[in-house]
Parts: sequence; C-alpha cells; structure tokens
Amino acid sequence: MADDSTDERDWAVRAAVFGHIVAHGRPPDVAETAAAMGLPDAEVAAAYDRLHGRHALFLEPGTHTVRIANPFSGVPTPYRVQVGARAYWANCAWDALGIPAALGADAAIVAALPNGDGTAALAVVGEAVRGDGEVVHLPLPFRRWYDNLVET
Amino acid sequence: MLLFRSEGDVDRWCERRGRARGAVLSLDQTWALARAWYHDRLDPSFRGRSAAEAVAIFRGLGLTGPFWSLSDGDG
Repeated sequence: MADDSTDERDWAVRAAVFGHIVAHGRPPDVAETAAAMGLPDAEVAAAYDRLHGRHALFLEPGTHTVRIANPFSGVPTPYRVQVGARAYWANCAWDALGIPAALGADAAIVAALPNGDGTAALAVVGEAVRGDGEVVHLPLPFRRWYDNLVET
Repeated sequence: MLLFRSEGDVDRWCERRGRARGAVLSLDQTWALARAWYHDRLDPSFRGRSAAEAVAIFRGLGLTGPFWSLSDGDG
C-alpha cells in the first residue's frame, strides 16, 4: 500500500496529467510528466499504474499510455469538443458535456451518431446546453460501469 | 454512452444489437449530470469519488431505481 507521501505524489501526477491534457489536448507520456514534475520516469510510471488501479485514469493494457482521463479521451472518438482554440476528444456523450463542465467553459461539440446516421452538433453556452432534442443512452447500470469502461 | 437523435433511434440500435435498453437521458439531464459529476475534476484537491457519493449525486438529480444503484435491490 502506498504511504501518505506516495499517495499525495500520485495525486500530483494525476493533476499534472490533466493539466497537460487541458493545455495540449492530449495526455502526456511518462517522460513528459516526469520532466514537468522533475521526477524519475520510473517513479511516474509507477504512479500511473497506481492511478490506473484506483480508477483515477485508465491506461492502455500493458502500457503506460493514458487511454482515458475522464472526461478526456487519449484516442480519437466519435465525440469532438471544441473549447476556444483547443479541441479535445471525449469518451462518450456524457463526457462530451463533461469537458465544458470540468473547464467551466462554453463548448461546441460534434458527435458522430451510431449507425452511420450522420453527426449532431451540440453547444454549451453559459449555464445551458443546446441541441435538437437528442438523447443519451446509457446501456449499463451504474454497478457495471467499471466492468468495461470503453463500452460503458 | 451514445448520443441519438431520438428515443426511437435508441430502440432501433438496441434491437439491431440484441441489447437491452438501459437508461435514456435528455440533453438537459445529461448536462446536469455532467456538471455534478465533473465540475471539480480539474481541482488539484480532487481525490476521487466513492460509489456512495456517486449514488448521492444521482439521487440529487432525481436518478433513482436499480439502474442508478449499487445493487438490484437498491433505489
């Protein structure tokens, strides 16, 4: 089990990962985070593993590549979120709205719809979301969300 | 969690894949959930959220019943 200082360092690593995503639109690799924090690569890699274990971020299996740092995705998805001059990938429809919620910013969202049914354009402006009557389907109940995060 | 033009499109998607329909939220409901869930995600003091805290958020938004609970019998 991590001691308190390791635990706090892990959360600092997490904050650095999220800060990098906000600034650059993509997650940092281990070397980038290590350089930014002045830590050895191995220490940051171990922190990535522990953060993955506690669902604070999600790595590609067998790697230290960040796949998911909710609400952000490390890989292209059907959900593109534009906030000012920066664009982000969201993991799902909920996370597409989660990005402006996390940033406290307006956003323009383009979502590719299932079944090749074209795209939908949503917007967050101030306190409101604007769309055309779209709905979001959550296929799995809450107790199963971590069974398969990509499918959820 | 996919975006659809309508509930009918959700039903057709589920039927084609032989999947059970889960929960369907309006955009306003999803936005309210996104704000409650993610508003503090970039705060350096964020330390995760317990399952019980998650369920409390759902309840605060009127999302109750087995789908939003930790077990089939909750809600």
